[in-house]
Amino acid sequence: MTETIVEMRHITKRFPGIIANDDINLSIGKGEIFALLGENGAGKSTLMSMLFGLYEPDEGEFLVRGQPVRIDSPNQAVALDIGMVHQHFQLVSNFTVTENIIMGVETVKRRLGIFPAVDLKNSENKVAALSEQYGLEVDPRAVIDDLQISERQRVEILKMLYRNAEILIFDEPTAVLTPQEIQFLLQIIRNLRDNGKTVILITHKLDEIKQVADRCAILNRGRLIAVRDVRTTSTQEMARLMVGHDIAFTLAKKPAQFGEEILRVDKLTVENEEKYEALRQVSFSVHRGEIYALAGVAGNGQVELADAICGLLQAKSGRVYFRQTDITQESVRTRNLRGLSYIPEDRQSVGLILDFSLQDNLVMKRYYQPGFRKGLWINREHWQSYAKRLSQAYDIRSANGIQTIVRSMSGGNQQKVIIAREIDQDSDLQIYVQPTRGLDIGAITSIREKLIQERDHGKAILLISLELDEIMACADTIGVLYHGSLQTEAPAGQLDLETVGAYMMGAKHE
Amino acid sequence: MNTMIIDGLSYALPLLIIACGGIFSERSGVTNLALEGFLGFGAFTGGLFVALTSSWFANGSTVPMYLAFLFAMLGGGVYALLFALLCIKFRANQVIAGVVINILSVALTGFLTSQINSSVFGEASNKFQLGVSPRWTIPGVSQIPVLGAIFTKFYPFEILIVVLVIFLNYLLYKTRFGMHLRAAGDNPHAVDTAGISVVRVRFAAVVIAGMLAGLGGMCYAYSISTNFSPSIYFGAGYLAIAAMIFGNWKLMPTLAACLIFGLARSGAYQLVGYLKLSSNFTNLAMAIPYALTLLLLIFFSKSNRAPRALGEIYDKAKR
Amino acid sequence: MSKHMGKKPGWFLRLLGYKKTQFLTIPLFSIFCSLLAIAVLILLIGKNPLTAFQSLLQGSGWLPKPNYAAGKSILTDLLDMLDAYTPMLFASLAVALAFKAGLFNIGVSGQMLLAGFAATVLVGYQDFPAGLAKPLVVLLGFICGSLVGALIGFLKYRFNVNEVVSSIMLNYIIQYVVGFFIQTRYVDVVSRQSRAIKAAARLTLVDVAWGNMKLRLPLLFIPALLVAVLLYFYLKSTVGGYELKAVGLNRQAARYAGIKVGKRLVSSMTLSGGLAGLAGVTYYLGYYASIKPNELAALGFDSIAVSLLGNSHPLGIIFSSLLITSLDKGSTYMNSTVGVRQEVSSLVTGMILLFSACSAYMRYKVDASLRLALAGFAGTAAALPQQDSADGSGKGGKKA
Repeated sequence: MTETIVEMRHITKRFPGIIANDDINLSIGKGEIFALLGENGAGKSTLMSMLFGLYEPDEGEFLVRGQPVRIDSPNQAVALDIGMVHQHFQLVSNFTVTENIIMGVETVKRRLGIFPAVDLKNSENKVAALSEQYGLEVDPRAVIDDLQISERQRVEILKMLYRNAEILIFDEPTAVLTPQEIQFLLQIIRNLRDNGKTVILITHKLDEIKQVADRCAILNRGRLIAVRDVRTTSTQEMARLMVGHDIAFTLAKKPAQFGEEILRVDKLTVENEEKYEALRQVSFSVHRGEIYALAGVAGNGQVELADAICGLLQAKSGRVYFRQTDITQESVRTRNLRGLSYIPEDRQSVGLILDFSLQDNLVMKRYYQPGFRKGLWINREHWQSYAKRLSQAYDIRSANGIQTIVRSMSGGNQQKVIIAREIDQDSDLQIYVQPTRGLDIGAITSIREKLIQERDHGKAILLISLELDEIMACADTIGVLYHGSLQTEAPAGQLDLETVGAYMMGAKHE
Repeated sequence: MNTMIIDGLSYALPLLIIACGGIFSERSGVTNLALEGFLGFGAFTGGLFVALTSSWFANGSTVPMYLAFLFAMLGGGVYALLFALLCIKFRANQVIAGVVINILSVALTGFLTSQINSSVFGEASNKFQLGVSPRWTIPGVSQIPVLGAIFTKFYPFEILIVVLVIFLNYLLYKTRFGMHLRAAGDNPHAVDTAGISVVRVRFAAVVIAGMLAGLGGMCYAYSISTNFSPSIYFGAGYLAIAAMIFGNWKLMPTLAACLIFGLARSGAYQLVGYLKLSSNFTNLAMAIPYALTLLLLIFFSKSNRAPRALGEIYDKAKR
Repeated sequence: MSKHMGKKPGWFLRLLGYKKTQFLTIPLFSIFCSLLAIAVLILLIGKNPLTAFQSLLQGSGWLPKPNYAAGKSILTDLLDMLDAYTPMLFASLAVALAFKAGLFNIGVSGQMLLAGFAATVLVGYQDFPAGLAKPLVVLLGFICGSLVGALIGFLKYRFNVNEVVSSIMLNYIIQYVVGFFIQTRYVDVVSRQSRAIKAAARLTLVDVAWGNMKLRLPLLFIPALLVAVLLYFYLKSTVGGYELKAVGLNRQAARYAGIKVGKRLVSSMTLSGGLAGLAGVTYYLGYYASIKPNELAALGFDSIAVSLLGNSHPLGIIFSSLLITSLDKGSTYMNSTVGVRQEVSSLVTGMILLFSACSAYMRYKVDASLRLALAGFAGTAAALPQQDSADGSGKGGKKA
């Protein structure tokens, strides 16, 4: 190995109730691509956030270029030539690309010889030059709001390069990209290494590590499990180390048995809150015993489609039929009663009332039904027994039983609350949007199994996901949304990963 | 007509500077319903200064007035620190904190004014007497029909405000500070990762809001009543908020909104006089700016976009 | 924060941190802090804060005064206070109900004024028998208040008009328009207020002889308490209450659950306005018998403090209203006996508001430092349940 650029000694970080990092010792070589592998909650992001100065370790120290350093702010990190691309982009939406890149390190010129003002023109030229040098195509004057996800990511990378970062940290950079965009990004990462930069890649995707990384460290529950050379380690072994035991990569799934048509969407056009046509002339149908999976890059109309089917958004034109009945004008409540369940993308702000108890969240779609109420009054005994039954059946864990405030529960258990509530309604149509986002492998497998089980019980499933793995693993039929219209639709067996990826990028159906 | 413009401007410009305070605060992401409290406390500080130093200056001197503006800005700024502390440090609900600050301001200034009047000056009064502000007319240009009224019988503070607003425009849109401020109201995390303290930017923004509102309050104390009294709390802070929402959190459209309020108010007064109605009708005229505000809000609340991170309590750990 | 590590949490921290009583300890702590601050202020003026506080309690009928004028006793003082308490309770419940639905009704004073004015003109000046006039006043007050509330709710729902700004605008509009009508048509030339209403319409019985004393009997005192209890059960145990709280906590999720959010917003604001209307009639046609033009009742704003202090809990508000009203009523006596200005009482209210606004932070801080202290005391943080271990590990992955 070449010279060491970053060294971590006995790094420990505690948060109330959890040890995020426990006595981590690592050294990262200059000019390598070093991957940090682990499940959600394994402590990868926390470790890197400390290196970037967002948190301070409770114990232990960092050495950068052999010198012990105390990194107590991102400024400090930048001064040490460390840069980070966060999982959620840290961009100001109404600023231009250049303004975002230079924020914090603006150059100033004097107006009228007295008044200091930010020198935008020069900065724009510098940004343009940088983006050319590294093949990061983006218009320096474009406003962030108008940019695609992959372009925004490039802005984040430029932000680091503009600050002359030598150590570049990427936090789950491929989560929001299409397969083609991922390849493009991995190429950029290789370019960066070839230009002498050190890259630290946080991810839980094994194949990406296999493609680009030189070495990888595996974390589990805050502890460092192993550091391996990627070329000599199999994917299977990395997975085993990451989870702590062997895992299956495939789901057992019987061939689908399609029944009657449950949902039909006919030339549906929907405007979002900004009066923008997020969905244009979309038509498809879902049958009993079918998992219809919609693929697409984030923000291509998926959420609007699900909201429109459930009645949260009004259709501008077109129709939605449920078992041949036109439900386009019906209220959310009426649609629920017909047999429609919806697991929304944003569980914390749509799917749950975080300050309600577990019990009150579990009855959220049932509280008004006979048995759950006595006239105007609520039937508390029934609420309690119902909530107890559901939390047992779905293994929902909480500190104070059914009276636990949901805000205090972990993300995985919050997701289980929604899934339990929605599946228990025994609805004919179940809409899942990103049901496994942010969960670890164990939970992901169990939710996907549940989905297939529901299908086998003769339900119609509409699965909307950004994860192509998920789509390929579960779907019977695949549709691809791009810019609000349905690009293609085909039985799952007829499409491979690359083809779906191409459609997600807007390649036309031939 | 001339009177309508003259009075309208002297009412609209202080409103504008208060609204500018609102813009600074809200563009940085802090919902600010506390402007009313800021302007009252600012005016109180200025008034107190005038009352305490009245013997130092010759009769009719305008120096105390200019110093009063300075002190009003100081007072408003210091009082705004309390609001900033509540909202930013203590993570109080910003809407509630705003109202709390207003109620406290009314109580505090009311108590202090009476207490100081009785224990320092030995008189039972809830007012501080201020001097009379001079009014200037620029010869020549003031003779132009209609537009000339702008340059006729205006208060010195009107010039001050115009200059200040130009400066604020530069501060908000051209400087590093302004850039950070606007960014903090859209994506505070981005500001944080750029190595800039969100807390510091927002504190500064709120204090600026306090200073501007304090100045606006002092202007009203001079133009409307020539004293400081509890009647300073006549809702200008809330009108300014309405103007700001109407102006889409931008300086120039907010100016337009303030002018509409000012002219509508002075116009209604003129109308009462013109129709030779009894003085009771001024009550109805007084209601007009408020009714107009409500009407405008109905039309503009839906389409206008507030800063994205407005009202969010910034939590470093939540990312 | 790490300085708490390894120390046994102090009694104070444990007292404030005890979840089951936190609803009580935190507000009490706020009150204590504000009284302390005011005590310091009174000391600075050069008076004795203890005698000042004692005279506050004497003035509001909780402690006997050293001497009474003819026909007065501690009972008359207490009933006087309860007469002022009744509108305060209604007004605070109005604020609390709106809070629970996620709305901020700062327009209580305007709603009170309109309700009081309408009832004064339509019933107070007419020759109705008491049996008809009194219920009519109550009904009219409720209706007028709820109409204003409904308007605010509708503007919020339909046009996205910030309810704080719209209710304040309505406050001023009502204040000036009502002021105009009083001054042009109903003014009493001597008092410069509206003419006094007929006794038959008044909701407080004044001069009820009892022994050698003349008492004031607020007729709506008991009903007001009942309304508070009713509201408590409404929020806790009814389907409507569940929906209202859901809307208040998370509008998006409520919509997703199939609740008609707009309807709920408008109806809760209507009910809140109605309660404010009741406050209006008990104030202008009970505690007083006339209306001062161009002035809003300070009570409408104090009710925000009361509601905050009572954590928007109807039963909590019964007690917080009592506290604030007592402060207010006692302050006149304090002014005359101890010589501390009566504005101090509104200052106390303001201070309580200030500390109450921080109560969420206090709770958060107390919980966090208590958890840290406990973790440190237990030896190692690892002893605590790890958040992640509960995640999804239940089902686990299958063996390959």
